[in-house]
Amino acid sequence: MTYFFQLVVSGIVVGSIYALSALGFVLIYKSSRVLNIAHGQIIAGGAFIVYALTVFLGLPIYISFVASMVITFFLAMSVERIFLRRLIGEPIISVIMVTIGLMSILNGVIYLTPFGSMNYSFPEFLPTTPISLGGVSISWTQLMGVVITAILIGAFSWFFKRSTIGISMRAVSDDQFAAMSVGISVPRVFGLAWAMAGLSAAAAGAIIGNITGLNFETLGAFGITVFPVVILGGLDSIIGAVVAGVIMGLIQQFAAGYLDGNWGLNGTADVLPYIILLVILLFKPHGLFGTHEIERV
Amino acid sequence: MSANRFLATGNFFTDYRQEQRIFRTHLDRGMFVVFLACLFAWPLFFEASNRTMLVINNILIAVVAVYGLNLVTGFAGLISIGHAAFVGVGAYTVAGLARAIGATHPLIVHWWPLMILAAGGMGAVFGAFVGLPAMRLKHLYLAIATLSFQMIFTWTIKFMPTFNQGQMIPVGRVSWIGGTVGRNNHYFFWYYMILVVAVICGLAVRNLLRSRYGRCLVAVRDNDRAADAMGMHPGLTKVYAFTLAGFFAGVAGALHTYMFRGAGFESFTLHHSITYLAMAIVGGLGTLPGSLLGPAAIYTLELQMEHLSEWSGTFLPDSFNLATALRPLGFGLVIVLFLMFEPRGMANWWRICRSYVKLWPFRY
Repeated sequence: MTYFFQLVVSGIVVGSIYALSALGFVLIYKSSRVLNIAHGQIIAGGAFIVYALTVFLGLPIYISFVASMVITFFLAMSVERIFLRRLIGEPIISVIMVTIGLMSILNGVIYLTPFGSMNYSFPEFLPTTPISLGGVSISWTQLMGVVITAILIGAFSWFFKRSTIGISMRAVSDDQFAAMSVGISVPRVFGLAWAMAGLSAAAAGAIIGNITGLNFETLGAFGITVFPVVILGGLDSIIGAVVAGVIMGLIQQFAAGYLDGNWGLNGTADVLPYIILLVILLFKPHGLFGTHEIERV
Repeated sequence: MSANRFLATGNFFTDYRQEQRIFRTHLDRGMFVVFLACLFAWPLFFEASNRTMLVINNILIAVVAVYGLNLVTGFAGLISIGHAAFVGVGAYTVAGLARAIGATHPLIVHWWPLMILAAGGMGAVFGAFVGLPAMRLKHLYLAIATLSFQMIFTWTIKFMPTFNQGQMIPVGRVSWIGGTVGRNNHYFFWYYMILVVAVICGLAVRNLLRSRYGRCLVAVRDNDRAADAMGMHPGLTKVYAFTLAGFFAGVAGALHTYMFRGAGFESFTLHHSITYLAMAIVGGLGTLPGSLLGPAAIYTLELQMEHLSEWSGTFLPDSFNLATALRPLGFGLVIVLFLMFEPRGMANWWRICRSYVKLWPFRY
């Protein structure tokens, strides 16, 4: 039974990381209907910036964490500005293909840095003895990851519900023409959506890097693992991203805990999300909380 | 027949049958025949090294695969980020069977044309399955479906003992009329075989596009609601496009296995899917010459990048990893720049050159 609860705890930790990664993805999709396939690379970039600032420049880790979020904020905004601004009005398919190209470019850029092929880990800044509750243990880094995720997601939900910019972003996602006609600058909203996605990606990257260590393959893979999460939750729902992230994390941990090693199976945690994805697409394509698109001629 | 069928300077069609011809003018037909004759004859006159033949064979296999991708992405307007997985399905149809019944079983080495067809069929089955969400959904979701198929495929190959956990599965040398194809003329032999397949597939695609189904594909891409109102079934058409793409990819995969005399999982990763997409985009989405130009351009680019990283290796420190960085960087830049500045691809340059020559000395 302890084993079960241990799996539940680590499932929730993994799930909250998924939720945070999915958040940035949903932000972009919500406002501009673009699937950002390069999200994993932005996550990795954010994590590497934190490391570079802390170790190479010697800043305190909390400051470099915030600085990394600021840097990716502007980085993602300029990516939108340079590559995607001129594609507004083009078919959405070519915009998605541009993000595929972006993923490839960012891969190349990261391979040029020392982070491309080596493993690093953040300097220890939290107590290393895990907290133990009746045999179930959770490390300080994991606890901090969950807490930061909760704070960020709360902040973003508030932002969308209450602030003027958030409301204008929701308006753009609902109907671009109507939003334009009441004086909302649609390109600015797109830029802001990318910027905020970059910010949340940096936070996700730093948390993942803190828990699993800095490895480009692992970090970049989060950009793809995010797809099953957002499909399960519904592509345009923040609350869906949270719920689906936790569900996916639990499923993965249970698969790794109970399936692997039995019946000759191995590494099921890597493949199960995608199988679930295909099944969801067949039977409940809009996910748990996604809005159904109704087309009228 | 009023129009000049030898050298047309514009569209002078008077009925639909004229518009649907494979070759618009006799000049087109003649050029095609000369082009084919050159392709078939050049290895007889020039002594090409095995290395060159390998690159050319690779390009031709990619051409067959890109036909399929172009059907799905170019003509039907659905992004496929899992095309390498479909190629892999074809490759592993042959390789998996070879592992099960022996690498030199007669079915593998004597009946290899049948195996290539079977691999195509297997690719078609998987293509249809992955395309099934198209019955209810639009292109966005299909990109995700193909991506997840890519991940599932890679996992299956890597972790299943049936497929040797992704390690190379050898396949025997095939037999032809004169006995077994030996080491010396292996690439030579497969050049002709792949060329024949590529030509047949190209004609098949061209023929498809003037048929009812091909025009359905284009109609659904341009406006699926209008196509629905015209009595087509958008969902079925998309599934059909995926099936065909799977077939072409499967054939390409089988050719790949036979040419490399085996299959390993590292030829069918997400990275390769993106490379196929780059080929289709650079060549020109939704054009037939683009399927030929794209693979050739991308492979040339890859060769040049290899040279560049070899050359830079002479003065850069070892820790600076230029070789692995250049490939994704180059492909990504090519995709993005083409989409931003020349979305119609290299086929458009070809079209511009043609019309320039055709209208010379007048500008337009």
